[in-house]
Amino acid sequence: MRVIIRMVVVLTAICAASGLTLSVIYRVTKTPIEYQTIKFVKEPAVKKVLTGYENDPILDRVKLTIGTDERGRPVELTIFPAKRNGKTFAVAIEGKGKGYHGTIGVMVGVSRDETLTGIAITTQSETPGIGSRVTEEAFTSRFAGLPAKGELSVDGISGATYSSRGVMAAVNQAVSYATKFKGELF
Amino acid sequence: MASSVRDEFTKGLWRTVPPFRLVLGLCPTLAVTTSGINGMGMGLATTFVLIFSNLFVSLLRKLIPTQVRIASFIVIIASFVVIVELVMQAYFYQLFKVLGIFIPLIVVNCIILGRAEAFASKQSAILSLADGLGIGIGFTISLFILGLIRELLGAGTLLDIPVMWASFEPFTFMLKPPGAFVALGILLALMNLISQLQARKGGSR
Repeated sequence: MRVIIRMVVVLTAICAASGLTLSVIYRVTKTPIEYQTIKFVKEPAVKKVLTGYENDPILDRVKLTIGTDERGRPVELTIFPAKRNGKTFAVAIEGKGKGYHGTIGVMVGVSRDETLTGIAITTQSETPGIGSRVTEEAFTSRFAGLPAKGELSVDGISGATYSSRGVMAAVNQAVSYATKFKGELF
Repeated sequence: MASSVRDEFTKGLWRTVPPFRLVLGLCPTLAVTTSGINGMGMGLATTFVLIFSNLFVSLLRKLIPTQVRIASFIVIIASFVVIVELVMQAYFYQLFKVLGIFIPLIVVNCIILGRAEAFASKQSAILSLADGLGIGIGFTISLFILGLIRELLGAGTLLDIPVMWASFEPFTFMLKPPGAFVALGILLALMNLISQLQARKGGSR
């Protein structure tokens, strides 16, 4: 009997101590981890679609509440503003679209005068060599300079129709956010 | 006492260096050693976990009932692995991305549980610390060397600096899993050769 009690007490104590330590470490590393994730996953895409800014779009990022999910919790959208002389002249917004395999994430640059400054793919799991060609400059450059309003469409890649449509859907989503929140963004 | 601390430390560097002599911990050894830096990162992460798990297992060895010792060891090891994972993600994100799933898998790395069970649960804290440090550094050096060899032959670079002549065609095979086995086998054979030569010179050993 004494052995059983000892087993329970020791194991409980070890687990409690471990849980406490981990929760402290988690709190300490939470902000740096968030920053690193944004820096290494989003920053390359943001740099591709925005040019001529004088600020750090990652540091100046703003969060907008764009609605609520089915449980009533707010859904947030992160916006990366490009500023010159303290004024925002373009923003990068990430849109999502359904590709051939899962979701395609696209960072879309929208300027103040409602023009696309460029797009860059952030996440995708399309078929390598076929659908994955949407990440190539030859395709993404087709979006730059288009007017950022309404439904956009460009020529797709032959053989990668679903993936091309996924990218267009993602771009259109981002554009719709930009149109909807224009007042707050610029 | 001092000499035995040194003994426990140095045995991990040559006599029982984990991937070659004990042939333990091969999963991370083969999977992540595609470059010198990756090998070293994995080795250092494992060393950190090994040192602290050895220390804590040794300090708590009289408190932990034998019936639940493995469970206790795993909780201790897992805690340090999560600490490594969080810290690496926060401050060395690129390394974290490369090592990926192999960081959480340190929990089941048999070197660490093996040292806890076979050594730290029976020895004093100082000896366990020396043992963890020795085995850990031995493991790190092994992974680093293996990574350097594979990087040199597979990509023609050393620590991301191109060192081979211009017309060198990299053996991409060396960066794939079979290449890891070949490199490991050759290193193991070389170490055995050196040991045999030493034994012949020394006579009895």
